[in-house]
Amino acid sequence: MIRLQNIEKTFYGKETNLLALNQISLNVEKGEAFGIIGESGAGKSTLLRMINALEKPDSGMVMVDNVRLTELNRKELRLQQKQIGMVFQQFNLLNNKTVAENVRLPLTLHDYPNCLTVDDVLEFVGLEDKKFSYPGELSGGQKQRVGIARALITRPKLLLCDEPTSALDQNTTEEIVEVLRKAHEEFKMTSVVVTHELPVIKSLCKRAALMEAGEIKDIITIKQSDKSIIQKPYLERAIEVLAHD
Amino acid sequence: MTESLALYIERVIEFSPRLFDSLWETGIMLFFAMIAAILLGIPVGTLLYLTADSRPMANRFVNRLINILVNIIRSFPFLLLVVAMQPFVRQVYGRATGDPIAASFPMVVIAIALYARFVEQSLMEVPKGIIETAQSMGATNWQLVWKFLFVEARSSLVIGFTTAVISFVSYSTIMGVVGGGGIGDFAIRFGYQRYETDIMYTAIVLIIILVEVFQWLGLKLAKKLDKR
Repeated sequence: MIRLQNIEKTFYGKETNLLALNQISLNVEKGEAFGIIGESGAGKSTLLRMINALEKPDSGMVMVDNVRLTELNRKELRLQQKQIGMVFQQFNLLNNKTVAENVRLPLTLHDYPNCLTVDDVLEFVGLEDKKFSYPGELSGGQKQRVGIARALITRPKLLLCDEPTSALDQNTTEEIVEVLRKAHEEFKMTSVVVTHELPVIKSLCKRAALMEAGEIKDIITIKQSDKSIIQKPYLERAIEVLAHD
Repeated sequence: MTESLALYIERVIEFSPRLFDSLWETGIMLFFAMIAAILLGIPVGTLLYLTADSRPMANRFVNRLINILVNIIRSFPFLLLVVAMQPFVRQVYGRATGDPIAASFPMVVIAIALYARFVEQSLMEVPKGIIETAQSMGATNWQLVWKFLFVEARSSLVIGFTTAVISFVSYSTIMGVVGGGGIGDFAIRFGYQRYETDIMYTAIVLIIILVEVFQWLGLKLAKKLDKR
């Protein structure tokens, strides 16, 4: 589904230049849930943004679904981008639009013959009752659910998640991970998740690339833990962490 | 006291037709300035924003050019702009003074430059993530502007427009110097040249009320539009 070959990217600053990606090659199979993990500044977000052409490599090749993104003109590129959903760390919702209008937004930009309905996706993420609310009235977790619903409504063949839980607390993180896991199961799209949070990758992905200083150090197969994540309420967990060894 | 009040009211009634004519002329100038600000100031301001470095339509040449033009117009003392434009207005419209439509030409020019700057500033307040989101959805630049930027910047655009219109009121009074009509012309003729001080103050109070109304309407609308 995704093939990256010898990707290089340097950001040119006034004083120093930063080699953000150095000779990156990577394959992600169709339907796979793939993780990219590393500390901040490792280049993982830049790598993710190569996949939907938000960032262009200085050299190398990006191929998504047998299309070389690096060789497309702007119009062809937009047609590729419309089939890729993206979930952001800061949610990036339009605060002056209601939840329903936000979720419907991608459908107003392009034609999507197989899209879902607003009601379907809102039900899927558990926000049917917030349809007419504005983002300002929602909690962080709810905002991210809207972001996910907005990405899912087009039935993307590829879902990119850029630090989807990094702006959320631990309990909300687990809720969002659960929604993303369910989405991957239900819609069978290929997913790529970038995060520095190990438990998120562990519960969402089958394989993960470990990045450091713009390079992929290793690609590992993730051993799924047998215990399913038990969602404990925040206070219970606080007592567990603070009052016990 | 009552006598002087009665006298004042009598004088206001006497001058009211001219006062209302002047207000009407100011209204004409403001109308053209507002239309120009909306129809041309918004596109120019949006272009200023979009063509800046690392923005979706980054183009150093176009950006510099518009920037320089806007700066020149805005830094021109308005009275000099009015005088400098007279030959042009005469050529296009037939006359350059003594008529509110002729007076609207310099108003239109300053309105575009002034509001373009406000529009640019409003768009700069939109979080960068919104542009990225639009691009990740494969939005065209047109869609980015209409469906993302203007939606998020709308209350700021309205507040900027209100501030701009209030400046237009001020600019319109300068037109009085070249006999362009309007409330400024009225104040110069009666207050400055004929020492009808009470009538001049009446005109000033009317201008203040006008400004207050614009400010109130603008803020109310901006608040209504802002769901952030």
